[in-house]
Amino acid sequence: MAMDGLSHFLAAVAEIGFSAQIIVVVWATLLGITVGMIPGLTATLGVALVTTLTFTMEPNTAILVLICVYIGAIYGGGRTAILLNIPGTPANAASALDGFPLARKGRAGEAMAIATTGSFLGSLVGMVGLALVAPWLAEFALDFTSFEFFWLAVFGIVLCGQLTAMDDALKGWIAGFFGLLIAMVGQESIHAYARFSYGFPDLEAGFGLLPVLVGAFGCTEVFMVMRQEATRVIAGNVTGVLSAAFSSFRHARTWLRSGLIGTFMGVVPGVGEDMGAWVSYAAAKRASKHKDAFGQGSTEGLLAAETGNNAAVPGALIPVLTLAIPGSAPAAVLLAAMIIHGLRPGPLIMITQADFFYSVVAMVFWASCAMLVLGLLLTRPLLLILRVRREWLMGIIFVLCTVGAFAIAGRIFDVWVMIGFGLVGFVMREAGFPIAPMILGVVLGPILDNNLRRSLALTQGDPLPFVTRPISAVIAFLVLLIIVFSLPPVRRGAAALKARFAGGVS
Amino acid sequence: MAARRINRTDFLAGLAVTIAGAAALVEALRMPRFETRGADPFTVPGLTPGLLSAVLCVLGAVLLLRGLSGHMVAEGARPSITRWDRASAIRSIFTVVSVLVYGVLLFGRMPFMLATALFVFAFTIGAELINAERRLSTPMLVIGALVLAVVAAFAINFVFTDLFLVRLPG
Repeated sequence: MAMDGLSHFLAAVAEIGFSAQIIVVVWATLLGITVGMIPGLTATLGVALVTTLTFTMEPNTAILVLICVYIGAIYGGGRTAILLNIPGTPANAASALDGFPLARKGRAGEAMAIATTGSFLGSLVGMVGLALVAPWLAEFALDFTSFEFFWLAVFGIVLCGQLTAMDDALKGWIAGFFGLLIAMVGQESIHAYARFSYGFPDLEAGFGLLPVLVGAFGCTEVFMVMRQEATRVIAGNVTGVLSAAFSSFRHARTWLRSGLIGTFMGVVPGVGEDMGAWVSYAAAKRASKHKDAFGQGSTEGLLAAETGNNAAVPGALIPVLTLAIPGSAPAAVLLAAMIIHGLRPGPLIMITQADFFYSVVAMVFWASCAMLVLGLLLTRPLLLILRVRREWLMGIIFVLCTVGAFAIAGRIFDVWVMIGFGLVGFVMREAGFPIAPMILGVVLGPILDNNLRRSLALTQGDPLPFVTRPISAVIAFLVLLIIVFSLPPVRRGAAALKARFAGGVS
Repeated sequence: MAARRINRTDFLAGLAVTIAGAAALVEALRMPRFETRGADPFTVPGLTPGLLSAVLCVLGAVLLLRGLSGHMVAEGARPSITRWDRASAIRSIFTVVSVLVYGVLLFGRMPFMLATALFVFAFTIGAELINAERRLSTPMLVIGALVLAVVAAFAINFVFTDLFLVRLPG
């Protein structure tokens, strides 16, 4: 089975490598890097905008373009974090902690090289994880019924809300349940009743995922960038790139650990790259002999953050391909794009579309290679992108958001939806609510709704099977555990217990 | 003991969420049950929205009460809305008004290239005029913004309509 998978993968690698698709890999990855570097253009927005450009492409080429843009953007955002001290994408926030101090010390070239190799190694670790875990998860998911899918949706919202809101799980959960409620707008699938539509034909069709995503991540970002103070590029020294790039390989423990953590965080629904980076960074700091250097320009810290966020990209593809549940916000767009192009991700993928699955693994491989080569070769020219002033850029970015929202269905209503969610996202972010759980809620809403009602109809309203079926019971227990351990008194009690235990040991 | 101050952001956000949840709950309860069609009572359209809005209502009420108590979860969780200054407010209002004018009034009501060129020109000029660190003189700014607006409108139109065959309004 494993050898069979390896031969499928090698065939897919050769198919892309020895065809014109390799040119697609180069331009799409470069586009992704550029998108990621521009503050205000996130990976989600980049993938969403490019989705509208892939309508006329072959499905495999379209997904190749989107994966390259996705990987390139997550990597490109690291440069902005290093040189401007603001993350190009939210996934690069942890990179700024050590990347920017390195640039200020005149070691910007070294920092960018470490970020490049870290991102490359992270992508490769994630790719291996994707190739090994996804087939197993797909087979396991064949046993899932409506009960398990209902709990999976609840689990995704609760965990994503808890992790993305950092210190305030309550706000994360509110954002998630708000997203689920938004998904209820429009015609439901059992009785064809148009909920919350009030006779407006546009509302009866519900909110399109892509206009919502472009609004919440693109339009909101325009508002956020314009609200904040302007930033300046640190005129860093960009020498020593290659030697620094090779030095990253020596920190094998750091990049392997960060790669594994990043991949795992990618698999968790809706959490994605930013948490991959933060958790990897925290783990690297705990394990390091030079803890004090973290936050002051630690190359180890930067390597951990950049490895973690890029490893989360292939990780986020695992639930997309096997469960049709996104591991991150850009992965949600990718899922929508796959459906638009007639591809059917889900538990049956290894049975009906095994070739496509291994093509995706090969796409990750080529995108990672292109990112490494372009990142190292174009270190200096790519700096020019960061010199563009926001006053000259944000208007154009908003036009792209508008065109992107409109182009999907040719509806002016989608433009209004995009602006509406841009404003909602802006207010939410300003008030401390994370956006990712809301988006995950919009994606998971129909899954939760259909599976809840289907399950209750099957059991004639008996809720017991939701907690007595083995897999359901495990997921339900995990949901309960997350909620209980998020309660402040329980957290305080656990912290006190940990301190007492540590005191007793020492 | 000094009384804690209300955490206004949490209080107002909690209030908004509670009201939205309650309104959605009422609306979900009003949804048809299709008894005359003999529909299964566990598949009625209002079931899931009702449950979700009830949960949202409870979560909103918890946030509201937390806001009233003045409790702050952690210093890291302090929202950025509490750190606005005058310049931020001016830039934000300008951005919101500009995008609303383009997205609601101009886009789709006049040829795409004209609407886009007008918006990019006006946005660039406006954003620079309220920017305290502006370096360009007014004539240079106008010329630069004009060139940017025309090039952006043509380039976006070309890429979307000619290169990728996406239909744009006008």
